[in-house]
Amino acid sequence: MDPDLVLLLNGIVSGLLLGGLYAAAAAGLSVSFGMLDVVNIAHPAFMVLGAMLVALLWGATGIDPLVLSILLTPAFWALGAALYVAYHHFFERRGDEAIQGLAFFFGVLFIIEVGLVLTLGPEQHFADASYANTTIQLGEVDLPLRMLVPMLVSLLAIGGLSLFLRRTFMGRAIAAVAQDREALRLLAIDPVRVKRLAFGISIALAALAGGALVVVQPVDATSGHVFIGRVFAIVIMGGLSSLGGCVLAALAFGVVENVTATFYGPSWSPAVAFGCLLLVLAVRPQGLFGRAA
Amino acid sequence: MAASLLIEDVDAAYGAVRALDGVSLRVDSGETVALLGTNGNGKTTLMRCILGLLKPTRGRISVTIDGVTTDLVGRSPEDIVNLGIAIVPEGRRLFPRLSVEENLLLGAYRRAARPSIPRHLEFCYEAFPRLKERRSQAVGSMSGGEQQMVALGRAVMCAPKILLVDEPSVGLAPILVARTIEKIAELKEKLGLTVLMAEQNFHQAIRIADRGYVLVHGHVEFQGDSPAALGDSELVRKFYLGL
Repeated sequence: MDPDLVLLLNGIVSGLLLGGLYAAAAAGLSVSFGMLDVVNIAHPAFMVLGAMLVALLWGATGIDPLVLSILLTPAFWALGAALYVAYHHFFERRGDEAIQGLAFFFGVLFIIEVGLVLTLGPEQHFADASYANTTIQLGEVDLPLRMLVPMLVSLLAIGGLSLFLRRTFMGRAIAAVAQDREALRLLAIDPVRVKRLAFGISIALAALAGGALVVVQPVDATSGHVFIGRVFAIVIMGGLSSLGGCVLAALAFGVVENVTATFYGPSWSPAVAFGCLLLVLAVRPQGLFGRAA
Repeated sequence: MAASLLIEDVDAAYGAVRALDGVSLRVDSGETVALLGTNGNGKTTLMRCILGLLKPTRGRISVTIDGVTTDLVGRSPEDIVNLGIAIVPEGRRLFPRLSVEENLLLGAYRRAARPSIPRHLEFCYEAFPRLKERRSQAVGSMSGGEQQMVALGRAVMCAPKILLVDEPSVGLAPILVARTIEKIAELKEKLGLTVLMAEQNFHQAIRIADRGYVLVHGHVEFQGDSPAALGDSELVRKFYLGL
């Protein structure tokens, strides 16, 4: 095969795999920012917190990192629910959420990072999965399991969440709560309870994304930084409240970044990827997959 | 299935602005009562008080459902709706990015309404065939008339005993107003509801009302015990008919 074509094919496939990691990182934000209108800028920091805890637990037990991250989700759900209660009490309830709420989550981000540096040190932590060094080869295309398995686990979780949102009463209430919270109260639904539960889910997804992250690469306290811009871009590009759109946008973002990096060098990839975001927003302000209201 | 609503001497205010002044009215079981008055006279404020969205500064609001009387003042809207009181709010207040069916199903969120979901959903689709055709369409992309159907359907899904309707005619073409009003009467008849309807379109409201109250500046100025009595009142002639 033409070597350029092989390069392109591999660029696309590893872009999709990278996109899978982005999807894991962005899905939780798609719930908090897209559905609940909570601008949780600390979301990637929660992912890193999850990744570091997984690395720590892996060192102690040797259990598979992704299994560990799944075991962490109930604790992260509770953490998210508690954080929402505080956020609601001090900001949202008073209608101060726009700027002060953003500052609140900015503060949470730094507290997590500094907390991680103080307790676990500034160095990189890692967790090896048993399949980390296996690569499936499909003809000329490489499929490293180190990328593929976390992606599949994340997509499975996102698929499950999507079913939950569409098929259950609570799921529909979550989808509705940012659109008109007072109208929910008139249907005997407590919007604060709905948002607390949903925000817990978004942070639980961050723990899962952390498990995926630490399988893919070693992490340190600031590993979340490169994700902040990307996850917001992906959620916006995906149409804010659509999980399916979020996944597709994440895959597209990964492919654009990776193909650009393959042919023009990695320094171009964020510029091209965010350029695509601007283009998308110029042509379709509601995002690629958003429903116009 | 008896359900009645009693409002006694209710005052309410937005800050220093007095919105209701000693309002008393009752809706007996199985009645349709019209709450008349032009814009800004307190109809929506009274609805908000009944639903617990605004706390009256004085007075008592209570419902009696199946022999059990419950005071509403001081309860949360969630509790009040959960007693079996549904509202079709002014401006409909639907969830525009959700589909017709998702909106309808949200109406049946409360536990007491869930067992009757299949029956009520069928009822809605029979009463509004258009909604069945468009069940997966996002509500925000539908016309005002269709949205009003969804709002009525969503209230039906709540499995209410008492139905509050706030300004169903606002924003609708005249032909749709007439149809909406007829649908309210139909729902009331078939589901055995007790209805309180705030409406500024006098002619349409008295087509289906058994009785009515006229609110002026937050005060009940006139109480008509029949549609004819309302039509004959000096006040109504002055305010509505321009005579």
